[in-house]
Amino acid sequence: MIAGQDTGVREFLADSLALWRVDGSVEAGALPVVAVVRAGGATVWVERPAGDAPWRWFVRWRSPEMQEERSRPCASLVGLLNAVRGALGVERGNAVRVVAAPVELPPLRQRGRVGVGAT
Amino acid sequence: MIPVSVITGFLGSGKTTLLGRLLRDPAMSRTAVIINEFGAIGLDHELIESSDESFIQLSNGCLCCNVRSDLVLTLGDLAARRAAGTVPPFERVVVETSGLADPAPILHALMTDRTLSEVYALDGVVTTVDAVTGLATLDNHAESLRQAAVADRIVLTKTDMPEAQTDAMRLRLATINPGAPLLTAVSGAIAPSALFDCGLYDAAGKQADVQAWLAHEAAAVAGSHVHHHHQDDITSFCVVREQPLRAVTLALLLSALAENCGADLLRMKGIVHVAEEPDRPAVIHGVQHVYHAPVWLERWPSADRRTRMVFIGRNLRESWVKSLIDLLDAEVADEIQRRAAAREPEIIAG
Repeated sequence: MIAGQDTGVREFLADSLALWRVDGSVEAGALPVVAVVRAGGATVWVERPAGDAPWRWFVRWRSPEMQEERSRPCASLVGLLNAVRGALGVERGNAVRVVAAPVELPPLRQRGRVGVGAT
Repeated sequence: MIPVSVITGFLGSGKTTLLGRLLRDPAMSRTAVIINEFGAIGLDHELIESSDESFIQLSNGCLCCNVRSDLVLTLGDLAARRAAGTVPPFERVVVETSGLADPAPILHALMTDRTLSEVYALDGVVTTVDAVTGLATLDNHAESLRQAAVADRIVLTKTDMPEAQTDAMRLRLATINPGAPLLTAVSGAIAPSALFDCGLYDAAGKQADVQAWLAHEAAAVAGSHVHHHHQDDITSFCVVREQPLRAVTLALLLSALAENCGADLLRMKGIVHVAEEPDRPAVIHGVQHVYHAPVWLERWPSADRRTRMVFIGRNLRESWVKSLIDLLDAEVADEIQRRAAAREPEIIAG
């Protein structure tokens, strides 16, 4: 089951590279590494930690200009993508912004903002 | 709420002609018009007969570049003047963009400004495309593609001219934005009812119109459930899911779309079966990374209770979106199970 999921994650990461317009590759790794992403000289290892870990994913990466390998735990797939983008230096979109929905509001008088204190 | 419609279209595509003709219709009598012209000396407003004080010309530059300082202030000022009775009590606003405008920042401003959102609601985007030069314009100008891609209605103009490539234009536009009804207007002649009230600003009261709003989905269901169009790097597709989405999955999905697609996601809209609210579908609508908070309908508009989401974007892959939803849904389900196993039954209840 996990093996099938891991294949899906690798395919998804490969699709993500295309979405980000990054030339690179995604390969399987030795457990707990689910995927090894290589692009632009950088290598990113995506791990699925043991079941009792407080995070769902663990991402390590290294690039030629880095002195040391870096890592980041991620609580969800959204965080995983964020970490991989950061590791590869991909500049993408902004944080989601949810704005008030265009709903009909009752007139101010009915909302009690007008006439407060009036007799 | 006062509906705001945006009329956009490339230079010379017939926006001003269309608007001028529309404003002669009695149905448009209570309409405030904001025209944005690129250049110090504007002419478009001179071409439209109006003595109304609620007719405003913005010629400080391209609206999409100065949207906060121009459009937001202008709309705010207009609302204040309306409230004070110094302009007629208009019931609709039409914004005509400059021909070079990218509509997205304008839509963002209309969706996100807190003060405007108490008075105005985005109705929809009407895009004019010239049947004579439109093909070349779409090839050569990214702005033109974006204008067509975000449209709720596309108006094909100059179809009466001998050089018009009407059939080719129809095919091209159907691949760029298959969900937008494609209309024609010769010399700007078209009924206002065909162009306006096409948005979801009063979705809760327009149950039946949701299906029309999701026109792409309707077309997809009639065919192979999912349509794919790749041309001009613009992709348009509909994702249909039988299983309800948990609310947290939906929130994670919107985050992932915004952070990973960026400006490539031109428009997204959908009706979502949220597991926690099975009888009330949520309507979602976004432009790039900006989304309206979900509008909850009182009931499903039809017997079809599947989640249906329409995506229009550049370099956007249907397989990526589908996998994203599948993986997020599996992750959320697993997390719920993990917490349940750790004796946190309230998570399941919630």
